[in-house]
Amino acid sequence: MTRHLLVVDDDAELCQLLSEYLMPEGYDVEAVHNGTEGVERALSGDHALVVLDVMLPDVRGFEVLRQLRARSRMPVLMLTARGNEQDRILGLEMGADDYLAKPFNPRELSARIEAILRRSGDRRTVDARAGELAVDDVTMNKASRMVRRGPEPLDLTTVEFDLLEALLRAAGRVIPRDELVRTVLNRPFSPFDRSIDTHVSNLRRKLGPGADGLDRIKSVRGIGYQYTLRHAPRGVEK
Amino acid sequence: MRLHIKVFLWFWLGVVVVSGTLIGLTELTHSRVQDDRLWREKYGPRVDLWARQETHILRTEGPAALEAYVGSFQADPGVTNFMFDASGREVFNRTASPPVLKMVDGLMQSSGWTQGVDAAERIIAERVIDAKGNPYVVVVDFPAPSVLSRSLVDLLAADFSDGRPTRASLLRLTVVVGVAGIFCFVLARHIAAPIDRLRSATKKIAHQQLQTRIDRGVLNRGDEIAALGRDFNGMADRIETLVTAQRHLLADVSHALRSPLARLNVALGLARRHSAPGAREHLDRIELETERLNTLIGQLLTMARVDSGIGLEPRVVFDVAAIVDEVAMDADYEARARRCVVEVSGARNCMVSGAADMIRGAIENVVRNAVRHAADGTPVEIFLERRDEKMPGTVVINVRDHGAGVPEKIVPSLFVPFYRGPHADNNQNGTGLGLAITRRVFEVHGGTATAANAEGGGFVVVLELPLQAQGGADQSEAVRPTIEEQGKNAITAA
Repeated sequence: MTRHLLVVDDDAELCQLLSEYLMPEGYDVEAVHNGTEGVERALSGDHALVVLDVMLPDVRGFEVLRQLRARSRMPVLMLTARGNEQDRILGLEMGADDYLAKPFNPRELSARIEAILRRSGDRRTVDARAGELAVDDVTMNKASRMVRRGPEPLDLTTVEFDLLEALLRAAGRVIPRDELVRTVLNRPFSPFDRSIDTHVSNLRRKLGPGADGLDRIKSVRGIGYQYTLRHAPRGVEK
Repeated sequence: MRLHIKVFLWFWLGVVVVSGTLIGLTELTHSRVQDDRLWREKYGPRVDLWARQETHILRTEGPAALEAYVGSFQADPGVTNFMFDASGREVFNRTASPPVLKMVDGLMQSSGWTQGVDAAERIIAERVIDAKGNPYVVVVDFPAPSVLSRSLVDLLAADFSDGRPTRASLLRLTVVVGVAGIFCFVLARHIAAPIDRLRSATKKIAHQQLQTRIDRGVLNRGDEIAALGRDFNGMADRIETLVTAQRHLLADVSHALRSPLARLNVALGLARRHSAPGAREHLDRIELETERLNTLIGQLLTMARVDSGIGLEPRVVFDVAAIVDEVAMDADYEARARRCVVEVSGARNCMVSGAADMIRGAIENVVRNAVRHAADGTPVEIFLERRDEKMPGTVVINVRDHGAGVPEKIVPSLFVPFYRGPHADNNQNGTGLGLAITRRVFEVHGGTATAANAEGGGFVVVLELPLQAQGGADQSEAVRPTIEEQGKNAITAA
């Protein structure tokens, strides 16, 4: 099965090389070299995923992401400049599914694309075995991929949804960071990669404090994260 | 207008107004006393004359004639004539005001012919004795000055003639001090307010809010402060341009250097697919060197950012102990491969202010360095220490490994960029910039970074940072910048 990818990067030669590299892995790469065209093509619905460079000649990658996110949930992998933490955090906060620092190893790029696609592909298969998960006032519906805090719906990215699901399933138990990286981000844990922490902090911000005013997601020093539990989980997945 | 002219005119005006107030007050009280004296000189003898006449009329022509005579006084508006007999009764049963009665009482006590004057109430009374020896008191009550001017003048002028410092002179002094105070306050504000604005603008620029400018309110003054404001704006324009240019340059350099590396990486990936089995080792080497080159470029750019101050934004207040924990947790993961552990102990909650990412990177350099040099199976110990004796205190991070240590004489050189020691083990993973960056980052945050061989073997790096003052207003800003701010920074960093 050939999957269509959109690469938005002003480096035409790199796009060419990528297209060549990804072809045997079953990807058909369409490359555009500026943001305006990037938004236009990304919204066409022809692609399974967008690889978006932060540095574009006309509009910044973030602006492309913002415009895209306003209309579509399609998976986005951001390419950021290495060492620029702010870009990474901002990208993930704005709803990118993952990021990769440039220059990157092409093996890693294809692994991450694979991971994101697997995750977003899950969405469709999950629909069949719809289930609801609830801890305290937070309810998540896997079929509709809706999360509510009380009556209020929360707008979570795909990664945040999966992260919350992992935390809610293990509510009250500490999940080590490396396990979260493996299960939620679908990639091997590497130290000094703080994306899981960024996702946790975004999720924390969106969930807001619990009824007792404390963070719902607790950092456990040296180990990982824990969804604090006041009552036992009510909903049970079918 | 020039500032010195302005200050001169203001002071001058102040002096004029204050002395004017002083002179005015003196005049007011003086004329009041003058008034009273003139009135007294004019009416004193007249009342004496009327009193004699009235007594005479009463005795010779009887009360009816006296009533007619007194009635003629009533024609003068406001002037009332009373006559009291020895029993204190008003002859025609008219009611008199309390000051009149008070004066009558006083005069009845005395003896003989006496005149009493109440200048303030404009009352003159005279004790007269008729032929039979009966005392009478004749009172002429003139219209008093209006209550307002009365009380004001009383307040300011009472006891003026005494020549002693009294309640009234204290009051006068208060008025003068008050008027002078108002003038000085306005003048001081006029000078200090724009300087305050300049100061806060300068502070904002120093905190990288480069769009800050002095507003029209100050620029329209037309004095030296306005000129200073215009110069400030000129300077701010220039700084903004330079910093923006520098940012663009760094971003462009980064982009320009990394784009070929990105292509090289992908090309390498392609080459691996089509390579003969024997080429693999060489391709691995190419990949390793590419990675090193990339790390080096990253560190050079970091160095440039720290030196230019560009990478130091956003400045936030954060807990450095939490960052140490995070770094240690990651380093520990890395260290496990060599049966090493990274342990953190000591102080908690050490709030510092600065660029959190930069400081994280700086600490990471040191901790990873320690892990790299630790002997297999030994711990890397990180100890945090708060030093609160001085305000604001500092936090000291000691990172100690149990490795071979470093020859004593090259210890000071370890922080020099690209320093290669005589026994450097080819420094396979280091670029020679890590510790140099750490020191620069700590220095720009007002801290220090030093190193020494530890007692009992191993090596210790000591990092010190000033703590954020406790309870400061900044404390409330102890949060990560909001998305908007980050967005702004990201956009300006473009």
